Amino acid sequence: MKKIEIAPSTKTGFHHWLVQRVSAVALIPLIIWLVLSLVEIALDPAGYLPVFFAYPFNAFMAILLFTTSLYHGSLGMRVIIEDYVTNKVKIHFYIMLVNFISITTATAVVLAILKLHLIN
Amino acid sequence: MENHNSSKPTSPHLQIYRWNISSITSILHRLTGVMLFFSVLIIAWFIVYYTYSFGSISEKEHCECLSMLILDIVFYGAIIALTFSLYYHFCNGIRHLFWDIGKGFNLKTAKFTGYLVILLTLVLTISTIALTIYLKLF
Repeated sequence: MKKIEIAPSTKTGFHHWLVQRVSAVALIPLIIWLVLSLVEIALDPAGYLPVFFAYPFNAFMAILLFTTSLYHGSLGMRVIIEDYVTNKVKIHFYIMLVNFISITTATAVVLAILKLHLIN
Repeated sequence: MENHNSSKPTSPHLQIYRWNISSITSILHRLTGVMLFFSVLIIAWFIVYYTYSFGSISEKEHCECLSMLILDIVFYGAIIALTFSLYYHFCNGIRHLFWDIGKGFNLKTAKFTGYLVILLTLVLTISTIALTIYLKLF
């Protein structure tokens, strides 16, 4: 009988499951804030949009939204890669690529929001 | 040579199942999740671009040409798809969180919440589009 080969556990499964849910719960108020802010911007785009990040609360919530969503997104992309890619080397490569893109994007956007917050 | 292809079965084979509300909501959750991930990347780099071009993004030049019309259609299509994705992933994500605390597993309840999520998403998406048309944003 052929023995089914099971990849050795990295013992990170429960932590991954938990932080995926914790970041999901954290995103609920952040998304509600985003939708309400977009409505607020829509009511006066020319006046409100250029100074949006000057308000400390907006900059604070936007930084939290970008970091949390990129974290939640990279965890989700990891699950999809593990589900559909069969080549072990490719799995690790794609997961590292997703993490690299997420971290660099989060760093760049936080810097940009800080700059928009400080110059206005 | 070591064979790196593992013998573990790969997940969701989309073609071999009969579609039902549970499978549709499940795969839509993944599709909208991937779509949102790439949208966040694009929006983040747009903010970076805007910031470091010293806020001098020139107004879009209008011309009555076909390429501009195609660009507009792609842009509006992307905005509507993004709106749908955000509302859908938000609503269905809350459905998933209820499952995680052990509620809503009853087959009848799960089907009902599946239809509810789709209905809620459509209502929210259509009202958002209606609001932007009403405010003459585009």
